[in-house]
Amino acid sequence: MSKQLGFYFDAGRCVQCHACEVACKSTHELELGPRWRRVLDRWAGKFPLVVNTSLSVSCMHCADPACAKVCPVTAISKRKEDGVVVVDSEECIGCRACRKACPYGAPQYGHNGKMQKCYLCTDRIALGLQPSCVATCPGEALAFGDVEELAKLAAARGGEKMEGVTRPSLFVIPAKNVANISIEFHSFFQELHPGRTPSAQE
Amino acid sequence: MKDNKKPPLTRRDFLSRSGSAGIVTALAGAGTLSVFAASAQETPLVAAAAKPPIDTIKGPASEMAIPTFCAMCGPSYGCGINAIVRDGKFIRVEGRKDAPLNRGKLCAKAHAAPQWVYSPQRLKYPMRRVGKRGKGKFEKISWDQALDLIADKLKEQKKRYGPESLAILSPAHRTYSTYLYRFLTAHGSPNYGHSGICAIQKAFAFSYTVGTHPAPDIENTKLYVIWAKQPVYAGSSKGGVRSLIAAKERGVKIVAIKPTMEPDVAHSDLWIPIRPGTDAAFALALLHVVIEEKLYDTDFVEKWTYGFDRLVPHVRKYSPEWAEPITGIPAQQARDFARLYATTKPACIEVGNGLEHAVSCNDAVRAIAILSAITGNLDRKGGDLLNGNFFGGGGGGSSFTLSERYTQEWVEKIVGPEFPKAFQPGFEGTSTAYYRVFESVLTGKPYPIRTIIAPGTQPTVSTRGTANVLAALKKVDFFVVIDVTRTAEIDYADVVIPVTTMYETDHPFEGFGPAVAARNKVIEPLGDYKSDYEFWIDLGVRMGYGKDFWNGSIEACMDEQLKPMGITYAELRQRKQGFAPPRKPPVYENYAQAFTAHSTRLDKGPYLPEGKVAIYNTTFEKLGFNPLPEWREPPESPTATPELLSKYPLTFSDFHTSKVYNAAWLRNVAYLREVMPDPTLQIHPETAAERGIVSGDAVVVESLHGSITLKADVNPGIRPDTVMALHGWWQGCAELGKTNLPVLEGGANTNSMYSTDPKRAYDPLVTAMTSQTLVQVRKA
Repeated sequence: MSKQLGFYFDAGRCVQCHACEVACKSTHELELGPRWRRVLDRWAGKFPLVVNTSLSVSCMHCADPACAKVCPVTAISKRKEDGVVVVDSEECIGCRACRKACPYGAPQYGHNGKMQKCYLCTDRIALGLQPSCVATCPGEALAFGDVEELAKLAAARGGEKMEGVTRPSLFVIPAKNVANISIEFHSFFQELHPGRTPSAQE
Repeated sequence: MKDNKKPPLTRRDFLSRSGSAGIVTALAGAGTLSVFAASAQETPLVAAAAKPPIDTIKGPASEMAIPTFCAMCGPSYGCGINAIVRDGKFIRVEGRKDAPLNRGKLCAKAHAAPQWVYSPQRLKYPMRRVGKRGKGKFEKISWDQALDLIADKLKEQKKRYGPESLAILSPAHRTYSTYLYRFLTAHGSPNYGHSGICAIQKAFAFSYTVGTHPAPDIENTKLYVIWAKQPVYAGSSKGGVRSLIAAKERGVKIVAIKPTMEPDVAHSDLWIPIRPGTDAAFALALLHVVIEEKLYDTDFVEKWTYGFDRLVPHVRKYSPEWAEPITGIPAQQARDFARLYATTKPACIEVGNGLEHAVSCNDAVRAIAILSAITGNLDRKGGDLLNGNFFGGGGGGSSFTLSERYTQEWVEKIVGPEFPKAFQPGFEGTSTAYYRVFESVLTGKPYPIRTIIAPGTQPTVSTRGTANVLAALKKVDFFVVIDVTRTAEIDYADVVIPVTTMYETDHPFEGFGPAVAARNKVIEPLGDYKSDYEFWIDLGVRMGYGKDFWNGSIEACMDEQLKPMGITYAELRQRKQGFAPPRKPPVYENYAQAFTAHSTRLDKGPYLPEGKVAIYNTTFEKLGFNPLPEWREPPESPTATPELLSKYPLTFSDFHTSKVYNAAWLRNVAYLREVMPDPTLQIHPETAAERGIVSGDAVVVESLHGSITLKADVNPGIRPDTVMALHGWWQGCAELGKTNLPVLEGGANTNSMYSTDPKRAYDPLVTAMTSQTLVQVRKA
């Protein structure tokens, strides 16, 4: 298996402070609008046995990226050396087919109308730095690395790889809660992408 | 903002770079809250030089990293950052791993700093009012002209009305509050207007009960109680989150007592969803159970407490069944929690500012302090420590405020004492209640304040009675605003002083815990202005108080404060990790010392005259206040004013902190506003459904005193009989098309919602203001 980098998120350590989100915007000097990383939250249960849990998500650098498949000009590609999904903004024509195809709402659009998204801070990684979201996380809920290593870490902490037809490279550790309510991680994406279920086949 | 043309985003560029990375995870060794790492003391002292050390961190060669400290939240700074500069522009921040407080981590606010610095709302130059008050017409003047205008006015008023006619309001960013005190003392006014909402009120109650404000030993505890505290929002990178997550992963039982489910509650084992403002009733009920069931530490009670025998009959009436209709907490849950707390050893309680937003503030804190004491948790490992570190700050020292000049005559002149005169001066100096500065202007009693200076504080959105504040600002002789960006009441100012952000100065040094470190300048000031610190020094000199203000030298000012540490500011600047005195090993059960601490009062008498925990408080009794903690109803509540429930069925209160904002500032910072775009009302799904409200609807919230318009945020993490909102909303964000909101009708200013009845809206001893009322909510 070729190398694949991915993210790791521990809901039991996330405090919904949004530092990852703003660190990302600031590091990449993003214009207003596009959000490469987002902290989503879900409520469940009935007062006073209530559960509130979160998910910090960006592009998941899927093993089988739906965005790349549908791009009419092959502007989206998956890097061989680390599996990071990247977009060539010079080739992108801004048709938004990728946005429609991605189950997680990862592709974003700014004023130039072209797709932009998380590229896993490969420039920072090359310099020996962590992606900005991982580096700043006060609860140390985020990590990144090779999926094989992340799988071991996730297994040790009771988590697993997020399922989905695009085979996202994201490992999630659900938060334990007093009400023993389990929240399906895919449910977080409903608001981002109404009308689509990430686990269903195209 | 650049667009999507950044080189790494092209495929060609990507392919040429190495993408190899091992697993990077910081999960090992969950951190504990330690104020200063031991290694920092080993930094060698290098020869003094004027230039700050420029960091060589990994990053593109075109970028320069300047090690300094974040300045996006008050009241304290201390999170170490590398400020990244490219082509002379401050572009982003990175957390500094060697910074002991944040260890490389930062919060959302920290990362948005460049947007704040370059904000279009920044004040660019000093201004003088030319139109009518409230119209907002100004003309540009120089820094010197502005200083002359203020100094001339103050000199004239000092001569005509006495120096006490000047009041300075307390800023939200507190690192310069000692400079305000120094100016007031040199000038001759005791009137520092402090808003009774933040730390000082609980510190007072704790000190007069157990000798000091205890610090929870979360690191070593078995039960961690988060009471009216927000460990996540109050600076997520400062250690609160680290302690919370570490405690949780160690298997510590975590209990959160607060009205809504905030992120820290989501990590707790038990949520006690108390009705806002009823913490005193709940604490009294806990005391009732602990005493009734004899769950207290008899040895400690016998040796180290005074008046326990009088508490026993006193709390008999405060049963959990008595408390239930007040607090909304089932009696059985109160009993269960009291037992859990009293039988889990050790247990610690982290008390937050939420308690200081109620008229029963002083008694709530006293009851909690007594609870900690009689269950044997005081100054024991894993309990509530009395090491005096809670207000630990480097440098300064009491004489910085020139407090040695205070006399009885001085205290007598306080216009509206924050604490009764017999308790003055307080922790920082003599103080008047913030809201009473405006009352004095309006009523002329006991005498009228003639000049109000508002440095880093926005009175219309910071204290109750917004209409009164506006009336007073119209009436007062002279009003000066000092800030970085426009403030809510800037249109009323006679003179506006713009100041630097902390990224544009190389002072002051930052204190955190017992340590200090120098601040380095990131960029040159963007306009005709200096720092807050320089302003007060310049004004001091202009007033003729040069001897007290180092004849205008900021370096001499820094050096004098560092003198006790045996280091100059130039030397401190060379130590990237700062300077920390050697850490003392923890000492537990140091009661003899803690219980004989001297107070800050003029007579320097002890806080605890009996040398023991003041369960029965003879000091309060002598001055006509309750010797034992009692329950006091908010001005309006389901139990205080049931007759109002048919019209106003819901309890309303507001949040002290938020995840991305700072009091009434930072709404103009677009990266933060994207996270929290609108003022919202948290409302339970059933309560919302009864009113046909769904998330996102505009809703009108009405009380007896005012009304505000918010966006509904419907979720089950709140009591169905309660609705809550964040305070401090007025600022717009032009980049996102958000306009400024009015501070009165039609706006979102929670301050306009509460009672200002002098007899019922304030704690009678510590002037804490009510943040509770009854409301009705309807779709707009």
